[in-house]
Amino acid sequence: MKAVFLLQWRRFYRKPMLVLAMFGLTVIFVSVTAAGGQSGPQMTPVYADESMSELQAQRWLERLNGGDQFQFELMAESEARSYVAEGDVSQAVNLLETDYRLLVGREDPARFALDSFLRRIYSEELRLENAEQTTPGIRADMESSLADPALTLTVESLQGEDSFQYNGQLQLLFGMTLFFVIYTIMFSLVRIVDEKRTGTWSRMIISPVRKWQMYLGHLGYSFLIGFSQITLIFLLFRFAFGFELGERFWLLIAIAACYTFSIVALGLLIISLITKPQQLGAVIPIVATGMAMVGGAFWPIELVTNEILLAVSKALPITYGLQALTSVAVYGNGVQAVAMPLLLLLGFGSICLAIAIRLMEWRSAS
Amino acid sequence: MLETDKLTKQFKDTIAVDDVSLVLKRGESVGLLGPNGAGKSTAIAMISTLMKPSSGDVRLNGKSVLKKPDDMRRVLGVVPQKIALYEELSAYENLKFFGRLYGLSGNKLEQRIEYVLELVGLADRKKELVKNYSGGMQRRVNLAAAMMHEPEVLIMDEPTVGIDPQSRNHLLETIRKLNRDEGMTVLYTSHYMEEVEKLCDRVYIMDHGKVIAEGTKEELKAILSDQETVLIEFDQNYPELFKKLSEIEGVQHSTIEEQSLKLIIPRGTRMLAALFHEAERYGAQVINVNVQTPTLEDVFLRLTGRKLRD
Ligand SMILES: Nc1ncnc2c1ncn2[C@@H]1O[C@H](COP(=O)(O)OP(=O)(O)OP(=O)(O)O)[C@@H](O)[C@H]1O
Ligand SMILES: [Mg+2]
Repeated sequence: MKAVFLLQWRRFYRKPMLVLAMFGLTVIFVSVTAAGGQSGPQMTPVYADESMSELQAQRWLERLNGGDQFQFELMAESEARSYVAEGDVSQAVNLLETDYRLLVGREDPARFALDSFLRRIYSEELRLENAEQTTPGIRADMESSLADPALTLTVESLQGEDSFQYNGQLQLLFGMTLFFVIYTIMFSLVRIVDEKRTGTWSRMIISPVRKWQMYLGHLGYSFLIGFSQITLIFLLFRFAFGFELGERFWLLIAIAACYTFSIVALGLLIISLITKPQQLGAVIPIVATGMAMVGGAFWPIELVTNEILLAVSKALPITYGLQALTSVAVYGNGVQAVAMPLLLLLGFGSICLAIAIRLMEWRSAS
Repeated sequence: MLETDKLTKQFKDTIAVDDVSLVLKRGESVGLLGPNGAGKSTAIAMISTLMKPSSGDVRLNGKSVLKKPDDMRRVLGVVPQKIALYEELSAYENLKFFGRLYGLSGNKLEQRIEYVLELVGLADRKKELVKNYSGGMQRRVNLAAAMMHEPEVLIMDEPTVGIDPQSRNHLLETIRKLNRDEGMTVLYTSHYMEEVEKLCDRVYIMDHGKVIAEGTKEELKAILSDQETVLIEFDQNYPELFKKLSEIEGVQHSTIEEQSLKLIIPRGTRMLAALFHEAERYGAQVINVNVQTPTLEDVFLRLTGRKLRD
């Protein structure tokens, strides 16, 4: 097993381009895109038209700036439009009396978060106004009781189901890292198929080395190369780029290990199902991109509302990987909060591994 | 030391190997001859424990290797028909890996690599990547990789396919040396007659999955015919002499071609004394006498009605 394992590193040393490319792409993607949005809330222009008085608009603005996720600035429509047109901001908000419009310049995942934030504020406000019509004074009552609650209830979530916080930087970092590493891992595993094609696999079979040792050598390499890629990228962005990755860095690394295991296992399953190298060249990108899209690597899963997609995402390891990473780094949760996703990752991996090995044995016996 | 007993392999719709029984004695060099698709590679795959036979058995020193392949795997070296190497690595790195598979390490491993590289004549180019080698050099590394663990039995599956004459000679010489000098048992597969004739003591001829003939080279050629062809060339045409010679006892057939005479006689007929005697009487000068014996190629032609190669 050691010989097979060491050989893979030798081959990596001789032909490192693919892995380096995946590493490089992650770094470039994350650093370039993240550099566009500086940390801290970005200013979002807000404007109102004649239907709304200056005072009303000011009241909305105060309401909106109540949270610390976004920072809104009231300005004339023309000014807001020019901000968006010149690409200084991705979107602006048009305030209406009972509704709002978004003026969208370019695609930005933050838009979903902005939208959901605005919707929440608006519906709260409108409900409150309705209530005020029937029970005058309710707003004042509410505000005073909020300031001086009769009962304090602290809610701690186990699953990290806190109210949705969006950290674009980390979303990007985690999404891209978990996405590109799929390629690194799966293309490392394709070596098994290649060896079967070139005949070096047969050479190993007729040597005293056992088949499980051959597989373990390959799987061990694929795991380690994938795991190293994630770890190095996290280290790089934490220390060189100064990303805030939370207090529990080691927990992120543990999550990375579980995720890598599940992808190695999934890769082996794919290889056991599809044995032609050319087909794998097409299948792997489809699997990687598909999983990343549905699983929330490109935009936060919290913004997906389609029931089917949500159901599918529950079967994808990348969903749990992202969920766990976000839970720890963004929400600051500990081990208990991510125990479930980690167990799911390990379980998913074990099942894939078991099926893959069965399939391969069955194939080679026939 | 190695034998197969009624070895058979059936694929979905073809019987690739059909009831094949081979014997390899220690130190022997045996040829396995057959045209494309005869089932040679399939037979080798089963002997080398790579493939399970549909029926039949493979035995090493009397013990079946089907259930317990370990002994076979330790003593057997196989040179596959396709070049099976890591081409992005150097020859040295490839050999190192294949040596490690057999548990070699440290000094012993390094020495063995040196020895094997020397053997195939690539010691001075060991650091180059395999993909940059010529076809012939790749073939030599392909052989070297099977030699790393000092196998007692070496099986070669058409090791000289697509190779330049120089590399080919080098390879054949190497194999001969291994067999003659080091007593390595060799099973050599080919559809090149000349190679098998040169290298092997005994030959099995396969066609359509079956062994259709076996024996020493001489035994096989004896199958072909009990006749030989004698071609005698003179300094000029001697009609009377030619007529006289054609009537020597035992000559079955004669043809005259300008100043040569071709006689077909039973194998082993002693007629050269009579030939020279008569020639002297007529004052004729014999320029050349050529007794043609059949080649294995002829044997195959006779047995199957087909040529080995097209
Ligand atoms: N895996 C397989 N599945 C189905 N048929 C096979 C398989 N392997 C070989 N065959 C068939 O078995 C027959 C023998 O093939 P084999 O490769 O053993 O011949 P060979 O003597 O080595 O020929 P060559 O000189 O071309 O190498 C062929 O008809 C081939 O098509
Ligand atoms: Mg063959």
